[in-house]
Amino acid sequence: MYRLFLAVRYLLTRPINLLGMLGILLSVWALVVVVSIFSGFLVEIERHVRSASADISVGDLPPWAEWTPLERALRDDPNVQGLARRLVHYGMISRPGERPPTPPLLGRTALHGGDQPFLLLLGIDAAAERDVTGFAEWLQHPAIPADLRADPQAPLAAPDGRPRVLVGLERLQRDGLRRGDVVVLTSGRLLDGPEGGRGLQQITLELVVAGAFKTHHGGFDGNNVFVDHGVLRTALHPDRPDGVQEIAIRVRDLDGLAATADRLQRAVARVLDRGDDRAFGRVVTWREKNGQFLASVEHQRGLLKIVLVVIMVTAAFLMLATLSMMVTEKTSDIGILTAMGGTPGGVLQVFLACGLTITAAGTALGVLTGIVTSVYLEEIRQAVLWATGIDLFPLNVYNLDRVPCSLDPWWLLQVAAMAFAVGGVVSAWPAWRAARHDPLVSLRGA
Amino acid sequence: MSTPVLAAHAVTKHYRLGKREIPVLRGVDLTLQAGERLALLGASGAGKSTLLHVLGLLDQPTSGQVCFDGRPVHDLPIAERARLRHAHTGFVFQFYHLIPELTALQNVLLARMMASSMTGYWRQRGAARAAAKALLEQVGLGDRLHHRPAELSGGERQRVAIARALLAEPRVILADEPTGNLDSHTAAGVVDLMFSIQQQRGIALLLVTHNEDLARRCDRIVRMQDGVVLAEPTGT
Ligand SMILES: Nc1ncnc2c1ncn2[C@@H]1O[C@H](COP(=O)(O)OP(=O)(O)OP(=O)(O)O)[C@@H](O)[C@H]1O
Ligand SMILES: [Mg+2]
Repeated sequence: MYRLFLAVRYLLTRPINLLGMLGILLSVWALVVVVSIFSGFLVEIERHVRSASADISVGDLPPWAEWTPLERALRDDPNVQGLARRLVHYGMISRPGERPPTPPLLGRTALHGGDQPFLLLLGIDAAAERDVTGFAEWLQHPAIPADLRADPQAPLAAPDGRPRVLVGLERLQRDGLRRGDVVVLTSGRLLDGPEGGRGLQQITLELVVAGAFKTHHGGFDGNNVFVDHGVLRTALHPDRPDGVQEIAIRVRDLDGLAATADRLQRAVARVLDRGDDRAFGRVVTWREKNGQFLASVEHQRGLLKIVLVVIMVTAAFLMLATLSMMVTEKTSDIGILTAMGGTPGGVLQVFLACGLTITAAGTALGVLTGIVTSVYLEEIRQAVLWATGIDLFPLNVYNLDRVPCSLDPWWLLQVAAMAFAVGGVVSAWPAWRAARHDPLVSLRGA
Repeated sequence: MSTPVLAAHAVTKHYRLGKREIPVLRGVDLTLQAGERLALLGASGAGKSTLLHVLGLLDQPTSGQVCFDGRPVHDLPIAERARLRHAHTGFVFQFYHLIPELTALQNVLLARMMASSMTGYWRQRGAARAAAKALLEQVGLGDRLHHRPAELSGGERQRVAIARALLAEPRVILADEPTGNLDSHTAAGVVDLMFSIQQQRGIALLLVTHNEDLARRCDRIVRMQDGVVLAEPTGT
């Protein structure tokens, strides 16, 4: 009993110990808030990436791959709901009579895509694409003004015979394009020349802007344009009407995604088997396809955790200093405590209790304020913006509409455990010193 | 003659300073009967405090025995010695050794907390407080319960220390120059108080002092010199 009583008394009469508590509090707070913002951010971009991806994609197809047998094999799988073929190519778009700009495009960010003039051309079958991805929603995103909306039923239809193009909303607006404007697509294709040599054939297509699209993934919108599959195929491979480069697949049941991808991989390999050792075609889930990007954000979160834990350790040194000071000051009490029936173990526990009380208070307050801050992050951002004009978290940079935040109870537990581990170690040393102090030294002296 | 409550048999104590062995106690025999008031006199450095620490189980003898109620206790495990110290022995020191963060009442109560668990103390906290208050009133500090040591005079501090030593209802009080730091008038008051409580409760008192007058008020006087007891007159 005396251990806790003395510990609390010692602490209450020494406001300097608040410093140690403050250190723990702040570092726990930072670990909770910063990581929850990052986790929220991760959830958001995962959602964004997801919204712009098919469940499963088949890529790495050889030039001789044919759509009909692949489609038949893939449709056989019970978990496949729909599939759409795509052609993926590259090119630049400019107004007629103008040269395409040179990279980098100033005023554009890599995060949003569109910082360079090169684009990915996605040749799609609009009707099939609608069943497989969020294509229909991308065309009707509420942010798209009425005069930039394409016909949702047949966005790439060309009744006048002039091929259409769909451009990401932001890119469209930056370039000042309107529906009905004509743009020139400049691209090229490699030719198999005589004696194995190769040549480049320029491709120029006049396209009519059919409207804008917008996913939640700014990077996708800035880097991709949609054209009709048939148009692109005719320009690129006039000799291969059944050619295919990429297949987007929607599954019925998302739970079995990885297993489905494995099955489809085998199906694709069977279709493309030419009797040699080479395997063609790669089937990836949406997460695998964007794995690098997601991993990079996760990796940043990991680094941040390390930095913050180091800060916590630094804060703990502050506590070590104040606790050591206190032990040095209180060695005079150790004699009488021993005379009254205390043991070295008891003395150790008095000072350990001091450190752990500081740790517990700092951790509890840190977690609490951290949770409150995380929950009201958007309100706090608004308040700071209103009061000082400083935007702590410029949302438009990240394509978000509120500060993201995701509180993970498991992480809170980990933070608390880390704080206790660090606090415990830091308390143990001064406490151990106190326990080793010879009580007779204090009893003989004044 | 009944079994002494506390006894030292051929107790020696050596301190090691580097390679040198310094003999501080060189075969001390001493008995303390229940309820007896014994004065220990001797020049500075004679080994009085050391003997007191050994008798109070704060220090272990190099050789010899310390017996409590006839039972050797000097080499019991550390926790057991701490328990005995708490249950049977009260200490009063020259420099009071009050804990500055605690009020007078809390300093006294601490003696009760030492051996109680959290729940155990909580259950008997009312009784403990009453007992501590009664003791502080008995030593004349009924109106100083909530003063910190820094707000008390030397004499008052020593009275708090006496109350603290008594709270656990010990059978022995070991007092090491309890008035060494007080003026003669205050000292007389403290001594009177200690003697009256000691007599009233039948506690054995070992009083280390340099004051011959004070020693004469005891039942028996033992003198020490260079680590040995000079003469212990047998019987009273
Ligand atoms: N830890 C120690 N190491 C070495 N020598 C010690 C130690 N503690 C005490 N001594 C020595 O033991 C001797 C006896 O000390 P002690 O304190 O028992 O004397 P004392 O009779 O109480 O003296 P005083 O009347 O001045 O209080 C002294 O010479 C002292 O220097
Ligand atoms: Mg002494």
